[in-house]
Amino acid sequence: MSIKKFTIPFLVVAFFSCGQGVDEKKTNESSEEITVDSSETSAVNAVNDENEVTYSLPSALQIAYVFKKSGASFIPTLLNSKENIAKYNISNYKRAVNFGIYSSDLSYCLFNKKYQQSKEYIKACKEMGSYLGLNQAFESDNVIQRFDKNIANEDSVVKIVSNIQLKTDLMFEQNKQKHITVIAFAGAWTESTYIAIQVYNKEKNKKVLASLMQQLLLSETIIKSLKNCVDKEKELQLLISTIEKINIEFNAIASVKSALEKDEEFDFYAMPISEIELAGIGKSVANLRASMIE
Amino acid sequence: MRKNIKYLFTLITIFTLMAFQDSDILCNANDLKLKAKNILEPYKYDSSELTNIIYRNKETLKEVEVPMFIGEKYRIIFELEALPKEIEVQIYNKDKESKNRKLLFSSKELAADKKEFQFEISKVRHVFIDYVIPPAETGSYSGCAVFMVGYK
Repeated sequence: MSIKKFTIPFLVVAFFSCGQGVDEKKTNESSEEITVDSSETSAVNAVNDENEVTYSLPSALQIAYVFKKSGASFIPTLLNSKENIAKYNISNYKRAVNFGIYSSDLSYCLFNKKYQQSKEYIKACKEMGSYLGLNQAFESDNVIQRFDKNIANEDSVVKIVSNIQLKTDLMFEQNKQKHITVIAFAGAWTESTYIAIQVYNKEKNKKVLASLMQQLLLSETIIKSLKNCVDKEKELQLLISTIEKINIEFNAIASVKSALEKDEEFDFYAMPISEIELAGIGKSVANLRASMIE
Repeated sequence: MRKNIKYLFTLITIFTLMAFQDSDILCNANDLKLKAKNILEPYKYDSSELTNIIYRNKETLKEVEVPMFIGEKYRIIFELEALPKEIEVQIYNKDKESKNRKLLFSSKELAADKKEFQFEISKVRHVFIDYVIPPAETGSYSGCAVFMVGYK
């Protein structure tokens, strides 16, 4: 065997080997469905690696699904106006948080069989999503057309929206923007909690209250998730302290406090919650929501 | 011509060996999640998480908290095929700092070569998924684990 025969392969190996660290991640995230920059993907995982504990937040769709099962009614005036979209294209925080708010509004319309509003709010999500680079999630597979066509079939449209959710989760994950998912969820949670409080105030339905309490329980996980990415956007410190205040008010409800102290499971159908205890939380959530949509 | 083919073959072999020189595994999040999605049905997609698994010189643990709604039924799908070495998946009712937490599931109960499996649960307000990562024999290497949550 001549040495010359292996000279070039050897040089190629030497060249590439020098650039590789032991922990460097070798990913191939691009695919036919979702195109991503694989060079950015390794950084996402590096962020994950810094935190021993991570959090997997639920979707706005599931919150609305659970809320609807409580028998909550539909109050259209609670939705955030679609006319506001353009004014949110000013920062990553505003874009993300309002993407979450419109996702929540869409889900609320969907499970209440409000077909026309659902069509309008999926378009609002698409537009907000475009500001966040999510065009592909809404444009592939004729998503909007299929949504419009199947609007009267709840199972089909829920499936379509779930697929959009999966695609957006993938895109944020692969494009080093996992923190946007967390901020968007904070927006969705604020909107759904705001709606739940307003609906409960109107109807005084015990099942709606139990559903609202379950939503408030999520505040702790949202705080921990936001703390994991606090340095990503300048608005996050204030958002965390605002949700922390809501969480403190929630934990101060006498029956919640007692269950926490005894390390008991919550039974929100049986736990007494006074109007005064709820009023403070309602005000805090309304203020947070107002600051997000202004 | 024959010489060129030999030459090309050598290059391909070298590149293939280079790709796995640290026993790292290619991690295609899209493929893994789409596979999980297929098994998830008829449950509705809720969330998913790709976790980077790095094998170091000692056993390590990574925990993911998954909040849930009491009264809902959930299915969790795990895709572990992008891992160079088996890990243990444990599911608890409380986090790793809690003294009295209860083990709800362990992948040890399954066949060792099982790379894809599911777990169903209801009546909980969150679960904690722990990846118990065994030590690497030499150096360190990596892969990734994916789980997906669906509700009914």
